Amino acid sequence: MSADANKMLIKCKVNGQSVSCEIPVECTLLTFLREYLSLTGTKGACLEGECGSCTVLVNGKQVNSCLMLAGQVQGCEVLTVEGLADSDGRLDVLQERFLDAGAAQCGYCTPGLLMSARAFLKDNPKAGREELLTALEGNICRCTGYASIVEAVEKALAEVRT
Amino acid sequence: MTGDTQQADFLVGRSCRRVDGVEKVTGDIRYGADLFPAQADLHARVVRSEHAHADIVGIDASEALNVKGVCGVYTHADIRGTNLHGLIRRDHRVLCDSRVRYRGDAIALVVGESEEAAERGRDLVHVKYSPLDVIATMDEAMADGAVEIHPGGNVMGDKRIRKGDVEKALAEAHVVVSDTFNTQTVDHAFLDLEAGTGHWDGQTLTLRAAGQWVHEERRLIALALGMPLEQVRVIQPPTGGAFGGREDISIQIYLGLAALQHPGKTVGLRYSREESMRARHKRHALRINFTLAADKEGTLTAARVIVHSDEGAYASTGIAVMRKASSHATGPYKIPNVDVDVYGVHTNNNPTGAMRGFGAAQMAISYEGMMDRLADALEMDRMELRLRNLVRPGDQVTTGQRLNDATAVECLEAVLNRYRDYPQATSETLPPNLRRGCGVSVICFGLGYGDGFPDASRARVHLEPDGTFTVYTGGVEMGQGLLNTMSQIAGHELGQPLERMKIIAADTMLTDESGSSSATRQTYFTGNAVRTAASELNEKIKDVAGEQLEVHPHEITVRAAWAVETNKPENRVSLSDVYDHGLKRGYDMIGRGIFKPRTIPEISDSGQSPRAFITYLFGAHLSQVLVDIETGEIRVERHIAAHDVGKAVNPQSVEGQICGGVAQGIGMALMEEVVYDKGRITNPSFTDYIIPTIKDVPTIEPIIVERDDPGGPFGAHGVGEPPLIGAVPAVLSAIYDATGVPVDRLPVTPERMWRLLNEAGAGSIRE
Repeated sequence: MSADANKMLIKCKVNGQSVSCEIPVECTLLTFLREYLSLTGTKGACLEGECGSCTVLVNGKQVNSCLMLAGQVQGCEVLTVEGLADSDGRLDVLQERFLDAGAAQCGYCTPGLLMSARAFLKDNPKAGREELLTALEGNICRCTGYASIVEAVEKALAEVRT
Repeated sequence: MTGDTQQADFLVGRSCRRVDGVEKVTGDIRYGADLFPAQADLHARVVRSEHAHADIVGIDASEALNVKGVCGVYTHADIRGTNLHGLIRRDHRVLCDSRVRYRGDAIALVVGESEEAAERGRDLVHVKYSPLDVIATMDEAMADGAVEIHPGGNVMGDKRIRKGDVEKALAEAHVVVSDTFNTQTVDHAFLDLEAGTGHWDGQTLTLRAAGQWVHEERRLIALALGMPLEQVRVIQPPTGGAFGGREDISIQIYLGLAALQHPGKTVGLRYSREESMRARHKRHALRINFTLAADKEGTLTAARVIVHSDEGAYASTGIAVMRKASSHATGPYKIPNVDVDVYGVHTNNNPTGAMRGFGAAQMAISYEGMMDRLADALEMDRMELRLRNLVRPGDQVTTGQRLNDATAVECLEAVLNRYRDYPQATSETLPPNLRRGCGVSVICFGLGYGDGFPDASRARVHLEPDGTFTVYTGGVEMGQGLLNTMSQIAGHELGQPLERMKIIAADTMLTDESGSSSATRQTYFTGNAVRTAASELNEKIKDVAGEQLEVHPHEITVRAAWAVETNKPENRVSLSDVYDHGLKRGYDMIGRGIFKPRTIPEISDSGQSPRAFITYLFGAHLSQVLVDIETGEIRVERHIAAHDVGKAVNPQSVEGQICGGVAQGIGMALMEEVVYDKGRITNPSFTDYIIPTIKDVPTIEPIIVERDDPGGPFGAHGVGEPPLIGAVPAVLSAIYDATGVPVDRLPVTPERMWRLLNEAGAGSIRE
């Protein structure tokens, strides 16, 4: 426990690694990841849960990290974009298909989209186009018009199925 | 793709993966906001006006300075230079001294040891105002006795075209149609909020902040802060979208001022979404009054176009937007008699400036809307009317420029063929509340700044000691794919695979000026400069290798890591050896390229010029929508977009530009609008400013039309802006087709559609 009432000790797993860190109680998960753990892959763009740029997975579920307090992930497993590739740097199937399809243009929405797609792939490997669109509906992309993103995720989905 | 095109020397035309792709999908890339807090010692925040129009009576910083952790509060009095910026007219104060003209105007800069301290300080700087009348609309601005926002009146300029005898042609016409269109204020809404760092080490002021033209930004920063140009270095960090929204200065001068006040410290500054939307310029809202006339056969005879453009509080790039609006007022149609008048009107709204389409986008909404209205008045097929009047090779556009190449018809045929040849399964019988409709648009776009404005790109290509290559360009990558375009052009010229090419872009210390990433100009301009540079370096390599291999230079081919004798490939020398030998011979093993074509200014009285723009691009769209006449909801079911890009250097990236432009166009047509209440933006957030999601956009069908542009690198010209320009009028035309109700005000929200339907007696209430 922390001596300062405005601070708390948070213990959780981030990208498979145990983390223990003292943070202000009002610290959001987004700020915790970016500023305390220097995991800047997760982006903040609207900071009110509208654009999905800050999406990470908490115990496998997609969340807007800008709307969640870091304290809420006490004891949880958090996965961010930095945790998608394996420890040898080999890219995840979604990352590969994003590269093939040109689904990252400016790239700012990419981490959030990858995480939403990752949660979807794991939970709904048999789902169709409409369910896929619903899963990605909370992630805004201003560059691509979404066509390349749909292509990338559908190809990854097909690979996961086989 | 055939095996041949996989060869290293066929990089142009290949959909190579993005050179910055891996770092984008791993999260390793560092945008402006990712540079700190790890790197920032201090943090800056901007005090902005609480009034849309007021005199500043006093600024009291004493309470802010007492906040723990606040290290300084700075005002106009702390700025040694002109304290002015503005891309065309320097009319905008970095920190206002005596008057504020919109609610985003900056008054003071607070620097603190933490972001929290800087923000507390910002909130405790007390500014005393003496409010002035707020000019909320163009009509208020032009009313008799209206308070002047700038000395000289509220009409900041006008732009005109006079061609033929419009009066006579209108009198003699068989059909004349008129309408007034109101386009809305649009926000760029790039995701990567303004953020960056500044550092002054006593020698160099280094600013890392995203813009669209680092060399011009350096000029503006140096002038405003009173610094010698060579002491300012601007570095573009990786950038998450721009769309014209980074053309005006944003955080750069604030960072420079804060850094100069705190030598040796790195200062960070980032905006919230609300500050980003409150501070930044927007797309011009235009009121367009359009009269179009034709003879009995449907041949266009005259157009009279009067445009009023809400310029907001400062000039920004407004004059240039007005010019683009006038020269694109009648789009790709041949009309012998044309009068156009564009007036820019200051208000106390946000300044308006560059955004994808740059005036041409708004005009396309009006001229394509008028073509549909005219077709109905003539009882003529909409396609037939267009085909009869589109410019063809050898015809003139409105500015009098004769086009050797004009692919409007090819683009239109491409979308119509796709629609016909690939029918999509659509339900035959619609429920009674739904109406389906289809619309097309055809557009043209003059590439580059045009109108005689100096427009140039420069580039270098270096052979490195290890035999690889580095391209240096001042052009800005903001997501559009410039790094690939330039690497692929240079690599193609030098017989290289992409893996052997490196690129350094947009750093005023390392790269030469390449103009802005705007006006759809980088592929054409910097692409040409890069190709010239690569070609010159290729000649140098062959010259040196010729000595080493004891053959003539023309008998040598550069391929990957080697210079080889073309007809005897075993006779070869590695490029790293060529580099060493070249240096010994006194060569620098660098190729340089400059591309600086000339355009001819439009005559101010008539707007006529034989070459207002260096080249023209064409495109056509087909949109299919479903309108729910009970709720006014509109869904775009299908959207096809064909664009003549000359040659697609990277087809995938071209398709990405087309699809992205269409999505932004759907946003502009149906949902996006910055709403003001007496100069205050009432929706400065993504909760209230609505951007298309993945469910608002159909699977867009891009079609690349390739017709080599003789002036472009490998025949390429560009693609950035036209896809948005074509998308909006095609969607509006489809709505008109579905409902029989013409749309004249954007965006067509469900509420607006519902009201239009009911006013026309076409909605559910009257049924």
